[in-house]
Amino acid sequence: MTEFLHYLTLPYLLEGIAFTLRLTAMGFVGGMVLGLFLAAMQLTRFRALTWVARAYVTLYRGTPLILQLVFVFSVLPRAGITLSPLVAGGLALALNEAVFFAEIFRSGVKGVDPGQVAAGRALGMRPALLMRRVVAPQGLRAIVPSLGSEGVATMKNSALASIIAVPELTLRTQQLASATFDYFEIYFATAVMYLLLTGALTLVQLAVERALDLDRPAQASLRSWVARLGRPAVGVPTTVEPDLRRAPDRTDVGLGEVPALTRADPPPRSFGEALIEAFDLRKSYGDNEVLRGIDLHVRQGEVVALLGPSGSGKSTLLRCINHLEGLDGGSVLVAGTAIGYGERGDELVERHVARQRVEAGVGMVFQQFNLFHHLTARENVAAPLRWVHGWSREDAAARADELLAQVGMAHRADALPRHMSGGQQQRVGIARALASNPKVLLLDEPTSALDPELVAEVLGVIQGLARQGGLTMIIATHQLRFAREVADRVVFMAGGVVVEQGTAQQVIGDPQVEATRRFVRAMDSAEV
Amino acid sequence: MLPTKSPRTVVLATGAVAALLAVSACTSTSSASDDAGEATYADLAGSAACVELREKNPDLVGTTKTNALNPHTPGYEVVNPENPDEYMGFDIDLGDAIGDCLGFDVDYLPVGFAELVPTVASGQADWIVSNLYATEERANGGVDFISYSKVFDGILVTTGNPKGITGIDTSLCGTTVALNKGYVEVPLVEAMGPECEAEGLVAPTVSLFDSSADCVQAILAGRADAYMNDINTVKGYIAEHPDELDSAETVMLDYEIGIGVLQGDHEFRDAVQAALVEIQESGLQAELATKWKLDENALAEPTILSVG
Repeated sequence: MTEFLHYLTLPYLLEGIAFTLRLTAMGFVGGMVLGLFLAAMQLTRFRALTWVARAYVTLYRGTPLILQLVFVFSVLPRAGITLSPLVAGGLALALNEAVFFAEIFRSGVKGVDPGQVAAGRALGMRPALLMRRVVAPQGLRAIVPSLGSEGVATMKNSALASIIAVPELTLRTQQLASATFDYFEIYFATAVMYLLLTGALTLVQLAVERALDLDRPAQASLRSWVARLGRPAVGVPTTVEPDLRRAPDRTDVGLGEVPALTRADPPPRSFGEALIEAFDLRKSYGDNEVLRGIDLHVRQGEVVALLGPSGSGKSTLLRCINHLEGLDGGSVLVAGTAIGYGERGDELVERHVARQRVEAGVGMVFQQFNLFHHLTARENVAAPLRWVHGWSREDAAARADELLAQVGMAHRADALPRHMSGGQQQRVGIARALASNPKVLLLDEPTSALDPELVAEVLGVIQGLARQGGLTMIIATHQLRFAREVADRVVFMAGGVVVEQGTAQQVIGDPQVEATRRFVRAMDSAEV
Repeated sequence: MLPTKSPRTVVLATGAVAALLAVSACTSTSSASDDAGEATYADLAGSAACVELREKNPDLVGTTKTNALNPHTPGYEVVNPENPDEYMGFDIDLGDAIGDCLGFDVDYLPVGFAELVPTVASGQADWIVSNLYATEERANGGVDFISYSKVFDGILVTTGNPKGITGIDTSLCGTTVALNKGYVEVPLVEAMGPECEAEGLVAPTVSLFDSSADCVQAILAGRADAYMNDINTVKGYIAEHPDELDSAETVMLDYEIGIGVLQGDHEFRDAVQAALVEIQESGLQAELATKWKLDENALAEPTILSVG
C-alpha cells in the first residue's frame, strides 16, 4: 500500500500526466477542427470533396493508431518533416480522432429532423444560417455524450504515443516498471491516475450537457426576465382558448369576436391580381409521377382549399410553389417570380433561392408543425425575423408577442415546443409563418397530425385569418366542413392532376367527377 | 417537473478541470543527461587517443547526440528508480564514456524496441546504445552497427526448471516461450517448430511482449514456461525473485551487441569505433561490466556491420 501511494504521488508520474493532458488536448481539439472539415466535406454537394473526405475516413479508420503514430514519427522525417515526439504524437492523434469526430458531427447533422430544415428554408434562411442557428444547436446537444466518450477515448489512445518516445504517463509507467520490479503497484497507481483523469472528463461532459439542457430552468432566465420587464406583467391580451372538447362549428370558432363568414361575405369579396400562376407542373420521385401537369391560378386575397385523397400530390404541389422541391417540368410564378430559378430558367443555388422566398413573401405551415425544437414559442416567431429580416431584438419580440396573442398562445410564449400540445405547436407555427407579413400562406394539412380534439383550435385560427381577408392562402386539407367555411375556391386533386375546381358549393356540394364524389362521400361519412 | 438546478456537478467539474490544469501547468523538466559538458570519465577523455580523436573529429565536439533506447533491460538501461528522470545501466555509462572521449553530450529518446532502428534511420535520433544485437536484418533498416559485446543468453524458468528445458532445442517442444517483440530469439525459437513436428511433438508457442518486465510477469503468472534474454538480465530477475525463478541454461548466440548509427554517417561511425577501441583497451568497458554485475559480458572487438 505504501508503495502504491508512493507511486501515486511520484512527481515523475505526475509529470507524465501533464504530457498525457497535452496529447489529449491536441488530439481532441485538433481532431475536432479537422473533423468539422471532414464532416462538412462529406455533407457538401461537391462530389470530389466528398470522395476525398470518404477516402480519408476509410484510411484512418481502417488502420491501427499505432501504425499511424509510427508513420508520423518515423516516416514523415524521410519527407523532410521532422516533428518532436510530442507534436508528432499530438498530430497523429488528431489525424486519427478527426475521422471519429467527423462521423459524430455527421450523425448530429443527419439526426436533426428534416422538417426543421424544411421550416428554415421556407422561412427564407440561407443554408449557412440554417446550419448555424438551427441544425448545429440541435445537433450539438445530441452529440455531447458522444463527444465526451471520444474525449475519454482520446485520452486513453494517447497512451500509445509511448512507443514514439512521448514521455507521457504510460511510457513513464512502463519504464518505471522495468526498472523497479514493483510491477503491480506501479500499474495500479497509473490506473488510478487515468481513472481520475477520465472521471474529470466525464464531469466536464456532464456539466456541458447540463449547460445545454433546454429544460434547465435557469437557462433562459436572464434573457426572458429582461424581456418580461419590457412588457406588462399582467393583463397581456390573450384570446379565449377554444373549447377543446367540442367539434369545430361555424358558431364556435373559439377566437373571440366572430366575423362574418368568408363565403357569405357580402358584397362578394373581390380579389386582386393573379399572385400564384402554375403552368403544367410536373414532379416525379423516381418512377413515381406525383404531379402530372398541374395548372393553378390563385389571385391576391383568395383562399383556396386543396382537397384530394392521400397521395394525390397536394403536399408536393405546395412544396413546389416555394421550391422546397425542384420541378421536373412546367413553371410556377409567385408574384411574378419563379422561385428557385434564374431569369434564364436556370436552377439557382439555395442561398439565392432563400432570398427569392423572402422577396416573394411566401409563408408555410407544416403538417408536423416543424417548430424549432430548441427555441421557445416566442423565439420561434421572433428569431427568424431577426436572422432573415434584420429586425431588432425588441421589435421582433414585440411582433412575436402580438402574433402569439392573436393565435391565443401568449401564455405559452416561454414554453418549448416539446412542452406544448400539437394544437398549440401548430398555432405557434402559424404565428411564425405570419410574422414577416407574407403575401401568401401555404398550409400543408395543418390539422392532419393533430388529435381530433385539438383540430378545432387550429382551424379556428385559420378561419380567423380567412375572415380578416387580404392574405392569400392555399390550404391542403381533408376537412370538408372547414373547406366549405373558409375557402373561396376548392381545388380537387387526384392522381397528380386537378380533377375539378370551383366554389365549395360546386365542388363539395355537387361534384361532377366520380373521383370527387367518392372522396366527398368518404370524408363526409368520416366527419359525421 | 423540471429538474432543480444542482450546482454540485458544475462545481465538481470546474474543480476537476482546475486540478487538471494545475497538474499540466507543472511542466516536466525531463532531461536525462547529467553534468553536461563535464567529463565523467576524465581519464579516458584525457587519454592521447581521445584527444587525437577529438582533433580529428572537431564537428562532434560540443554537440549532443540523441540515443534512441528501449529502457526496459535492467543492468543495461532502465530509468533510475530514485530519480526516474535519469537513465542508468551499462549502456548508459558506455554511451557517456564514448561521448566523453569524443567530446559530445548524450541525451535520450525512449522508444519501443521495434522503433529503435526506424527512429535513427529517420533522423529522430543519432545512435542506438541499447543492448541491441547487430544483425543484417536490422542493418537493412538503415543503420550501421559497431559491435562491442558478445551475446550470451540465459533461459529464465520457474524454480526447478519443471519442463526440463535445456536450450534452444527440442526441449522447447510443447512449451510456451515468452519473448520480447522483435528480439533475435523469436526466429530461433520459431525455427524449432519444424524440428518438434518432425519428432511428432508440438511446436513451441511464442508469446510476445513489449518489455522484459512483461515477459517475467508471464513466467511468474504461469502463462509461459521460459523466457530468453541476456544472461546478465536473466540473473538480475532471478536475484529479484530467488524463490520463484531459476536459470535453465546459458546459450551462446552467434551475434554481437552493437551500437547503431545512421547508415552512411561514416565519420560518426568510425569515431565511435575508435573510441570503443580505446575504451576496451583502457579496461573501462570491463570495469563498467563489473559495476553493473554483467559477469558474462565478453568484449567483442569493435567491428563494423554495414549493408549500405
